[in-house]
Amino acid sequence: MAIDRLTGEHSIAFIRSEQLFDLARSHSLWYMAFGIACCAIEGLMSASGPRFDFDRMGVFFRASPRQADVMIVAGTVNLKMAETVRMLYDQMPEPKWVVAMGACANTGGPFREYPNVVLGVDKIVPVDVYIPGCPPRPESVQYAFIELQKKIRNRTGERLAARRDRT
Amino acid sequence: MLPDATVLNRILSDAGVTARVEETTLGIVAHVPCEMAVEALSALRGSDLDFHMLLDMLGADTGEGIEITYHLRSLSRDEDVFVKTEVAYDAALRSVWNLFPSALAPERETAELLGIKLDGHPNPKRLLTTDGVAALLRKSVAVRSAEEVRAR
Amino acid sequence: MTDARDIVTSVGELASEGTHDPGMPPAGIRRIPSGVDGLSTEHLIINMGPQHPSTHGVLRVIVEVDGEEVVAAESTLGYLHRGIEKLAETRRFDQLGTLMDRGDYVSGIHGEQAAALAVEKLMEIEVPSKARWIRSLMAELTRIASHLVWYGTFGLDTGAMGQFLYAMRDREAILDILEAVSGQRMMFNYVRPGGVVADLPVGIEAKIIAFCDGFDGYLEEHHALLGGNEIFQHRVKGVGVIDREMALAFGLSGANLRAAGVGFDVRRERPYDAYSELEFDVPIGTRGDAWDRYMVRMEEMRQSVRMVRQAIAGMPEGEHTAKVPKVIRVPAGEVYASVESSRGETAVHMVTDGGTSPVRYHYRGPSLFAVQLLEEILPGHLLADVVMMIGSLDIMLGEADR
Ligand code: SF4
Repeated sequence: MAIDRLTGEHSIAFIRSEQLFDLARSHSLWYMAFGIACCAIEGLMSASGPRFDFDRMGVFFRASPRQADVMIVAGTVNLKMAETVRMLYDQMPEPKWVVAMGACANTGGPFREYPNVVLGVDKIVPVDVYIPGCPPRPESVQYAFIELQKKIRNRTGERLAARRDRT
Repeated sequence: MLPDATVLNRILSDAGVTARVEETTLGIVAHVPCEMAVEALSALRGSDLDFHMLLDMLGADTGEGIEITYHLRSLSRDEDVFVKTEVAYDAALRSVWNLFPSALAPERETAELLGIKLDGHPNPKRLLTTDGVAALLRKSVAVRSAEEVRAR
Repeated sequence: MTDARDIVTSVGELASEGTHDPGMPPAGIRRIPSGVDGLSTEHLIINMGPQHPSTHGVLRVIVEVDGEEVVAAESTLGYLHRGIEKLAETRRFDQLGTLMDRGDYVSGIHGEQAAALAVEKLMEIEVPSKARWIRSLMAELTRIASHLVWYGTFGLDTGAMGQFLYAMRDREAILDILEAVSGQRMMFNYVRPGGVVADLPVGIEAKIIAFCDGFDGYLEEHHALLGGNEIFQHRVKGVGVIDREMALAFGLSGANLRAAGVGFDVRRERPYDAYSELEFDVPIGTRGDAWDRYMVRMEEMRQSVRMVRQAIAGMPEGEHTAKVPKVIRVPAGEVYASVESSRGETAVHMVTDGGTSPVRYHYRGPSLFAVQLLEEILPGHLLADVVMMIGSLDIMLGEADR
């Protein structure tokens, strides 16, 4: 189906293998079940429930970071948790992406004044998509995944364009 | 709901504790000196008022020291009593865990967040924060200012 | 060739003559003896969490096992410590609800109730009866939603996936109602000092009744699906027994305490809001095992539906909030206000000095007491039962760490 979309009415597409892999990847984004706080209830539990049903997008949770492509940081990261977040990120195989879900993961959210809270998870791991809200609705998380898919599909093209510009 | 203040006074003085019992907006509060807190709690637990449940325990920074409040409940009589004691900033809090095991975690939390030492606790480690974090509930420790947050 | 069955029997015989304690196995539970004579086993330290799908959030439990049996356990907290108590000292009194929502984030209304009750007690505000009834109505709907999360995840812990989806379906129906009333799915900030922030929307009663009518049947289904499952029964019956003395000594409350046979429910013993006018039963367990905790919670959901119906039928007319000044100044004093949340006695202990924010704000989270009990109860259980224990106690780390 996705190939159709790529090629239009033709049944043959010339595509770089990296792009083909990225296309495949973008449709099976397995995320790590790593709920930290309130956002986890919306972003991980309601999301995998029957109404929002992320599975149909190929977005499925894995219990281990070794099998995951995406880390949804759903909650407040504090100084004690920071080390764990980084460790889990390092354990994920490449290529990997991070979604910062909720005000807390973006900037510290309602708890930003507390000295024990990290002001945004981008201080610890590189973030690809930020979702605003406290908590964001499951629909926003879905939208974030769609944006992430676009980002993944475009990355080879962007890299090639950058190389072309250089020469 | 409220225990009899005179009975409470009698129980505490029988146990040799100098206590001041008063009724406030909180309920019946017994103020006891720091070194007698454990005796007071054990007297209340063993008395016929039957306060055998430590519902909660908290500390507060009053500016002169740390005020510890023990909240005891007697289910058989359906009564609550609050026992308050003052601990100096540099002093140690005596653990009551062998009277009330429910104090184990709250004591660790209080000691760590208010920066006092813990005496006689089986596991006096930090509970909530990592090493190097200040005693966050002290009044002298400020929260982040708006500028700090904006300049993140 | 050896028959596979022979191997099994021979291992079984070998094991049974080891350090088998004849008094130990509770009815229906087969325990695997930890050591076999002549074979020494080394203790192994296993770390569960803070990222672990079955620790319900960010609890970290370090267990020392001898074979399959837990010999020691330590629970580590603080991975979600974000300073609700400290930040409350910088918030206005009408803003406390936002922090409480994020404490026990699956049953936000109860935390808001505790904060509002504390302010009202000190200011001696008379809350209009309509506001009290709306609060109780919302609280009971939230209780069902919260228990459904527990029910779904408890099943996941035992390896059952199906009921999670059904639980989520029903929870979404409740969240729709709560959203229609308060404007948010989880962080309501609906209960304020003096009443509630807005009246019930027009036509919500019919929606709530429709939900109740459906849910009565669904609840039977839920119970048949999980509780009627023999595998589940074998995994929870007789596991994690917390007797009366231990429950009291460790300060348990809520369904965990009631499963141990102590019939204390804040709604009945210290009625707040509309609970003195609502009719409900308080279910009590007898053995205090995981099965009793399961049964008590299932029955609580039934009672909640009953109360929701009563609240709709008897909803009085009138104002939804008392007259409260824009800037709330609470007279100096100290107050303790408790509510029965989904997890137990959630309470606010507040010290004020006459200003616009509290001087000391303490939030009693019942989960903290359940977590510290784990260290005491886990030794002697099998490793697989650790997950059952954590699941059956219904722990919420947001309110344990605060
Ligand atoms: S953004 Fe809001 S909902 Fe999400 S973790 Fe932070 S406080 Fe909770």
